[in-house]
Order: sequence, then structure tokens, then C-alpha cells
Amino acid sequence: MVLFVGFILVLFAAYLAWLIYAAIKFPLPFVYNLRSLWGRKSSTLTTASAISLVVAIFIVVLSLAQGISKAFVTSGLPNQALVMRPSSRFELNSSITRDQARIIKSNPLVAKDNMNPIASAEVIVIKLFNKSDGVGSNITVRGMEVTGRSMRPQVKLVSGRWFQPGLSEVTVPVKMQLRFPELVVGRSFKMGGRQWDIVGTYDAAGSSFDSEIWSDVNDVMQAFKRETYSTVLVRLRSEDDLGSFTLQMEEEKRLKLEAVPERSYFKELTKAGDPIRIIGNLITVILSIGAMFSAMNTMYASVASRTKEIGTLRALGYRRREILASFQWEAIALCVLGGLGGSLLSFLADGIQTGTTSFDTFSDISFAFTITPRLLAQGLFFSVGMGILGGLLPAWRASNIPLTEAMKA
Amino acid sequence: MKFLHLVWKSLMRSKRRTFLILCTLILSVFLITILQSLLATLDAVSNKPTEGNRFVVRHKSGLTQFLPISYGEYLRQQPEVLAVANSQWFGGYYQDPKNFFANFANDETTMFQVFSDRISGLTEAEIKEYQRDRKGCIVGQILADKYGWKVGDTIPLTGTIFPMSPQLTIRGIFKGRMASEENTLYFHYKLLEEGVQFMKGKTGAFWIKTKTSDDIPRVANRIDTHFANSPVETMSEAENAFYLTFVKMLGNIGAIIHGVTIAVLIAITIVTVGTMSMAIKERTTEIAVLRAMGFSRARVLFLLMAEGLLLVTLGGALGIGLASLVAKILREILGSALIFLQDFRLANETILLCMGMALIIGFISTIIPALAATRRSIVEGLRAL
Repeated sequence: MVLFVGFILVLFAAYLAWLIYAAIKFPLPFVYNLRSLWGRKSSTLTTASAISLVVAIFIVVLSLAQGISKAFVTSGLPNQALVMRPSSRFELNSSITRDQARIIKSNPLVAKDNMNPIASAEVIVIKLFNKSDGVGSNITVRGMEVTGRSMRPQVKLVSGRWFQPGLSEVTVPVKMQLRFPELVVGRSFKMGGRQWDIVGTYDAAGSSFDSEIWSDVNDVMQAFKRETYSTVLVRLRSEDDLGSFTLQMEEEKRLKLEAVPERSYFKELTKAGDPIRIIGNLITVILSIGAMFSAMNTMYASVASRTKEIGTLRALGYRRREILASFQWEAIALCVLGGLGGSLLSFLADGIQTGTTSFDTFSDISFAFTITPRLLAQGLFFSVGMGILGGLLPAWRASNIPLTEAMKA
Repeated sequence: MKFLHLVWKSLMRSKRRTFLILCTLILSVFLITILQSLLATLDAVSNKPTEGNRFVVRHKSGLTQFLPISYGEYLRQQPEVLAVANSQWFGGYYQDPKNFFANFANDETTMFQVFSDRISGLTEAEIKEYQRDRKGCIVGQILADKYGWKVGDTIPLTGTIFPMSPQLTIRGIFKGRMASEENTLYFHYKLLEEGVQFMKGKTGAFWIKTKTSDDIPRVANRIDTHFANSPVETMSEAENAFYLTFVKMLGNIGAIIHGVTIAVLIAITIVTVGTMSMAIKERTTEIAVLRAMGFSRARVLFLLMAEGLLLVTLGGALGIGLASLVAKILREILGSALIFLQDFRLANETILLCMGMALIIGFISTIIPALAATRRSIVEGLRAL
């Protein structure tokens, strides 16, 4: 499959290179074709606007899929591992006793800061909050030790202050406030039979921590009358220790636990976006084929109405392949025009914050549509591809009109 | 009708153009049909016929928290309540994590009262046999067909949420009303309680059947009030509302689908307008000749409109046909990603809606160039020769 895609890409690149060469060597037909786009304003505009809608959808769908992956991929550090109960798959399902947590923290492979292990025993609970549309959605509440905060360097305090242990306080993500109107600094809510004050907001730079509420681990455990932690997050002295650390967690008789590299844990979670991604891909594939047909139609019409002009070019001495190249350029320019329009359109969705819920953990995942330069480049590349495929047959036809017939027209 | 041949001829005047625009139309209608069916299927999840008059009582803080089974006592005492079944989503798989289907630990006796509409086709003897065997299970027809299971087979179920992997003996194969209902396995609640220490005396939810559906708001409210301010508060919801929370979990899929549908409709209208005006402009002379022969303006307009509408009807019908062809494959793919989409199908209303949209597109995109063409005077049209 990869080989096949690679082969197609090489073919594309070679063809494009030849097209560029032809355009430089024989600028006259090239310029003629581009100007004829301008000459047929209404049909150019119709096709380009239809293509721009398709390219816009393409970019938005990509940004959606990327937003979901970003929420997870940027969440973990390469030298950190999550210790969980074996085969629990998710933090929520895991449980670790206080004794086990102590043993984990004293492992010599764990990095230290002023003699204290850099590790955080954490507890995960779920709390139902109302979204702005009045429908309830579960939010992950993470109780952590103070070190837990510094183990997630991408998380920055935005307003107020961090929660203090022992005071039943929480800090909430600033990105969630739009979707969950209850989460206002200074307000409080009831959870596990206690009243919790919201004392600050943080920003987790698009990672999955933007979908959690943070508090102190002991406060949460007491409120929910829990005896066990969910997981222990540890920072290792180096990334290379991951393997031996995992083995030790498994083999130590008092533990028999599973250590998962934080990165791979979050990678596994990206699957929550699968339904949206499948639907998105389906949409783009079908739409792009449809748009290609439409570009083809426009190009055929444009070729048919210019038989005489093509004949003139041929009579001037331009060969078939130069005509092919220049008509191909016309198709590409048409689609790129649409691609540029689509890029502009896609900015309408930029920054919209939305969310889905993981069916594995039953908790909310916030993410944003982010239109990045990379996505725009992909959109443009996509439109060039449409131009090449959609323009190939009409351009072929243009180059194969017999000279005598063309002159007669 | 007598002009059908003429309309067809003019449509076939440029076969390539007609073919290409037809392809664009087919693909667009196909896409819209699939997307709208997706939405309709999701809507249907929370709009099931609730002949069972059921509601659900669960932990107020969410599905991952458990209720004490002892709450069942109070629930059963309510005069409106006919039967109470405790139920827990087990989330196990068969042999491979990819073999994913719904499996629940349910109360083995009351479940047959509470879910009488969902489970049918079991004989008295089979039910008795299932209830007698602590390690027994019952499976839906579709599930049994898929894995070739027969009554008496022992199947391993690997737990993902609970640290337990029971070996279950199939004691009956039941029928349901929908694919999703038959893609389900039920086993004894007590087996889960015995196998998983932290589930002892706990349950994820109570499913309750009342005498009439009008009873539900009243009794649900009474239950929630009764347990309010206790350490474990409850949330009672009618069945449809309960399913709605799952659909809502997907996020704003409705907005995405509607957004894409509108964008596709606009794009396809633009393209069809372009093509139809091209097709009509080409025939300026022909139209003038027809008029000169004595065809009235209205008749020419009618002929042109018929051409455009014939085109979109073809495109729409073929697009919907294509959608119904792939519906089965899509159901497999989507159903494995999301359990609700096992019931994915093209509803008649959706088909009508999509066909209607296609006709509207055809009308809009033909009327604009057709009016312009028929308004032109004959002399002017003939001069274009």
C-alpha cells in the first residue's frame, strides 16, 4: 500500500516537473491558457467556487481529525510512564493501593528532585456537568499530588491560582469554560458530598488535560470515600529506562502492575476520534471525485469552444505535447484558484471549540478546529491533484484535435 | 410524454457532458443520502418505540459509578413499578478485541419481564435452563450466526472493564426487533458479582418497567428525591433520554453533517447551473427554430425544464441506488466503530428528502438559463447562427 502510494506520488511529481519545464520553455501557450481562464470569467468562477467548497470541507475535516489527535499526542512526555493495574487499559479502570504507590515511588529508576521522587499518585473520577445546550456531559476530574502539575509542563495557569491541598479546591481548563457555563472562577459545585470551589483556570495547549478538572488527590479520595489511587505517573531518569522499569513493575511480587509509556497511553486514546474520522474521510473521498468530474466538464467545454485557437497554436508550430501541457496548466490553475478560495473559507471554522466523548472512559474530550499552514498546504496540494486528474483527459483531447479540422472550425 | 424522445435527444446532445454532470450528481446525492441516513439512524436511537414503558436509574455522577443493589428494594416497593432488573455493561470481547459486541450482566429472572419487547423467540424450557445455569448466557440471532454459535456451545468472554473472563454456555438464541438488539449477549448478574470483588452488592443501573409510560416522570422524580442527599444519589431517566445522552456524547455530529450537506448542495447547484446554461446556450439557434416552427414560449420552457429535471432525477435515483447498495457494507464498518450504527439503514423519509433536494437543485439550475433562453426573440436567436 505504502509502495503503491509512493509510486503514484513519484509519478505525479515527475509529471508536474515536466509541466513546469514545458511552461518555462514555451511560455506563449501557457500564458494564452491562463488568460483564457480570465476570458471565460463566469464558467471559471462557477467551477472554482464549487471546488473551493470541496477544498474547504477537506481542510476542515483534516483539522478535526488533527485536533483530536493533538489532544492526545501532545499530552505525554517521552520519559514518563503511567503505572496501572494490568489490562485496565484506561486510567479510570485502574486501581493502585497506597502501599503499591509507595513502592513504585521508591524505585531507583525514578528521577529525583531534591531527594524527592518525581512521581504523582493520582485518582480519576467522573463528574457530570451541564453543557451550554443544557445536556449533561461527563468530565474527568483528576486528583493529583503537587508534583503532578510540574510533570505536565505544557499546562500553564491562566487566571486565579492553583488548587490548594486540603481545601477542596479545583482548577479548571480555560478552554472548557465556553462549553460548560458552570465552570466559572469563584463559583462552587457539589461533588461526592462536598462543596468544591473553582479557584483558577489553566491552559493545556490543546492536550487532553484541556478536558479535565484538576484537584488534590487526597481531597478527591476522601470525598469519594476511595481507598485506592487510580494510577501513578512517574518520571524516569532517562527514556532508555522505560523498558527495564516496565519489567520491574511487572515482576516485583508486591506490585504485578503494568507500566505504560505516557506517550503510547495517549496514542491509544486517539481511537475515540475514530467515528468522526471515518465519516470525515468518507466525505472527502466522495466529494473530491465529484469535484474532479465537475472540473473535467468545465475543461472539456473550454477545449471544445477553442478548437480554432488550438489550431492556430498548432499552425504556429507548437507540438501536441506543448498544447497538452498548457491545457493541463489551465486545469491546475482553475483548481488552485478554487483551492485558494477554499483555504479562505476554511478559516470560518478556525478556532471553534468543540468536543466529543470517549466511549471507553465516558468522559468529555475537548478539541478545537485549528487551521494550520500545514493543513492549508495540504488543501492546495489536494487541489493541484484534482487539477491534474480532472484536466488530463480534456487536455489530451485538446492536443489531439487534428490540425485540418481545427483550422476548418 | 410525446416529447420525451426530444428531451432525451437534447440531453444526449453532448454525451460526455451529460455523463460527467451525472457522475457529479450521483456522487453528491450518494453522499447526502449516506450522511442524512447516518443522522436519522442516530436520531432513531433515542426515539425507540418504548412499548416496554421502561426507565433507567443510575448513579448521578455518571455511568462509571455504581449504585448499591440494595436500592432495588425501594424501587420495587413503588406502586407503579412492575419489575426491576439490575444491569451492568460488561464490555467484554470474544477471542479478539476486534470482536466487539454489546454484552451485559443482567438479573436473570426479571430481565425477561423488563425487556420483553427486546428479547423474543426463546421457549419456556430455554429460559428455565438459562436461569438454572449460573454460567449460562443467551445471545442474539445475528451474533450467533456471525460466530457460528449453537445452543450448548461454551464461549470465552474476555473482560476489559472488569478483571474477569468468564466461560459461558449458550442456553438460548433470541430474536430482537433491530440488528443492535440481536447483537447482544446477556449473562447472570450474580456471576459478575461473584467474579469481581468490587462489584459485590453494586450495580451500574436498574432498568425498571412501569405500568404505563405516564407513570415514569412521577415515579422517577420520587426515586431521585428519596435518594437525594444520600452518599449515592440517583439519576432516573426514561429509556429514550438515557440513550440520548450516548448520542450526545458523539458531540455535535448533527452540525457537522448539516454543514457538509449544505456545502455540497451549494456546490452541486453551482455546477449544475453552469452545465445547464452551457447546454442551453449552445442551442440558441435550435430554440429559435423551434419557436419559429410555432412552439410557444411556455412549451419551449417546459421542454428545457423537463430536460434539467430528467437529468437530476436520473442522478438522484442512481445516487440513492448506489447508497442502498453500499448501506450493508457501511453498516459493518460504522457499526464496529460505534455500536448504534449497527442499525444504519436508508429510511424512506431520508430517501424522499434526498430525492426532493435533487429535484429542487434541478429546478433552480434549469429555470435560470431556460427563462433567459425563452425570453430571447426569435430573430435574435436565429441571428446567432
